[in-house]
Amino acid sequence: MRIILVWIMIIGTLWGTDATLEVSKGVESLPKLAIEDGSLQTSEVSQKFFKILVADMNVISMFNVDDSYAINTYENLLPSNLHKDAQYLLHYRLTNDGTGGLKADIKLSQNGTDLFTKTYMLKQTEMLVFLSHTAAYDLNAKLGGAPMDWMKRKVLLTRLTSQKHADIIAADYTLSYQKVILSGGMYGFAKWANQEQTDLYYTSLTDFKPTIYKMSLVNGKREKLISSDGMAVCSDVSEDGKRLLMTLAPEGQPDVYMYDTITQSKIRLTDYSGIDVAGQFLGDDTIAFVSNRMGYPNIFSKKMNSNAITQLVYGGKNNSSFSTYKDFLVYKARENPATYGGNAFNLNLISLHSNSVKRLTASGDNDFPRFSGDGEAILFIKQEGSQSSVGVIRLGVNKSFIFPLKVGKIQSIDW
Amino acid sequence: MMKNVAFLSATVAMLVLSGCSSKEPAIDATTNGSSVGTNTNTNNANVNSSATDNNAIIAPVTTANANANANDVSNGSNANGSDAQLVSILFNYDKFDIREDMQESMTKDALLVKGKTVKLEGNCDEFGSDEYNYALGLKRANAVKESLVNSGMTPDSITMVSLGEGNPVCTEKTQECWAKNRRVDFKLP
Repeated sequence: MRIILVWIMIIGTLWGTDATLEVSKGVESLPKLAIEDGSLQTSEVSQKFFKILVADMNVISMFNVDDSYAINTYENLLPSNLHKDAQYLLHYRLTNDGTGGLKADIKLSQNGTDLFTKTYMLKQTEMLVFLSHTAAYDLNAKLGGAPMDWMKRKVLLTRLTSQKHADIIAADYTLSYQKVILSGGMYGFAKWANQEQTDLYYTSLTDFKPTIYKMSLVNGKREKLISSDGMAVCSDVSEDGKRLLMTLAPEGQPDVYMYDTITQSKIRLTDYSGIDVAGQFLGDDTIAFVSNRMGYPNIFSKKMNSNAITQLVYGGKNNSSFSTYKDFLVYKARENPATYGGNAFNLNLISLHSNSVKRLTASGDNDFPRFSGDGEAILFIKQEGSQSSVGVIRLGVNKSFIFPLKVGKIQSIDW
Repeated sequence: MMKNVAFLSATVAMLVLSGCSSKEPAIDATTNGSSVGTNTNTNNANVNSSATDNNAIIAPVTTANANANANDVSNGSNANGSDAQLVSILFNYDKFDIREDMQESMTKDALLVKGKTVKLEGNCDEFGSDEYNYALGLKRANAVKESLVNSGMTPDSITMVSLGEGNPVCTEKTQECWAKNRRVDFKLP
């Protein structure tokens, strides 16, 4: 099972200079890595772990990963005959702990020499995917790879399940592990409330008026923040968690507001008579937001203490979804059918310093772009024909990965 | 309220994983409470490299297939999400002004709800993104509210909510069906 990868785009060095677009062909030049199962009793779980590990090691992008499964005694430092040409061997041994959990020994060796050894304990086997992500993260750090903190972070998404019913789900970055956090009503716009990912904000449409709640994942406590006739959404959370950008509509008019979590007060930041929504912080004193003030949804910015509005995006139509990181903005844009052969929504990266725009995806309907907290990666959802996927664009290493997805209709996503 | 909440205590705190070389743990992954839909499609960790360049969904493009979620939703004929004899008001794509052909329905609805309390639910088709779609639904509800107020209703007797694309009356992938979902429903308490 090959992990690959839509080598659609390559973004040159993002930081310092503006991104440039190239096309990468393959991984042949990377050293070959074999992954082998050294479990005393190999099982469905140990084989499943192999597949996840293959995927994660591909995402790390340091090796040409052999995706053929082999069993090999854990103590062996050399790969089995099947992988005899591999320079690197990643060996794992899973052991049931007798209480529903697993002990995992993981070892990386190069031509018979140990480079990395670590033991992990997993309390719930169903969370196997996080074991793989963490091991991959540790290996990447040990080998000096580009930062990948995002690999261990959790994703919040809202999934429509039926009429007037939507669940909030916590997932890993591939969305292959999913756990329902809230169900039984119409919930939406789940947003992490802190860097630690222990609390979240969400909208309940089950209440008489749309209401934003804060919820703790540690003790389940819910705290009502604010209600608004028509619409109430927490769109963004400042880095320190003290300020929120919200879309509220107390008079039936959707506008962007800033809410102070300490004083519990709010101020209105936009006042256009059409639609202003989806505010996101752009540095300390500026916000970006979506507005239809030009007759179609597009992305604009404004200083918090000024009424002047700046148009940020000049290409595409229906630019209604975006994410910011420092001076970079990734947005979804409808392509010109004449140019791209039909209706397509692609993601574009713009540097607000130079206004240069780079297209990040090549086909399909690409939506819900979200920068990782460190700006190193972008998560997005791709719909192509009947196939849904979750995509990860690694800006630092110029690669993009697509994982098949079966989740139903997604309404929002946060990373 | 809480009874509707299937909460996993420590759901995510649990995901914290640490470890030391050749040492212990660990992932603290305790959960409790009822949960729904745990989906561990770890096979999905494989990557799909295929890519065709058509069928992308955007503004109303009719496709034959419908991977529809058929939750007691209409197939499109006479779909109407409003209560009693009230008729839902339909809108054009990405618009929130009341169409000429909806004025007669609007007038009839205004007579039927006069003196009552009414909740207006704004809805959208499946195109458009998250917040923008909700705002569009709200602007549609607000347009209907203004029309009701102009016909004599007091603003305080009208509440509004936008349900975005979360309450379709029709799930087929057709122009006709999408048109029915771009609507405002009247709900009576």
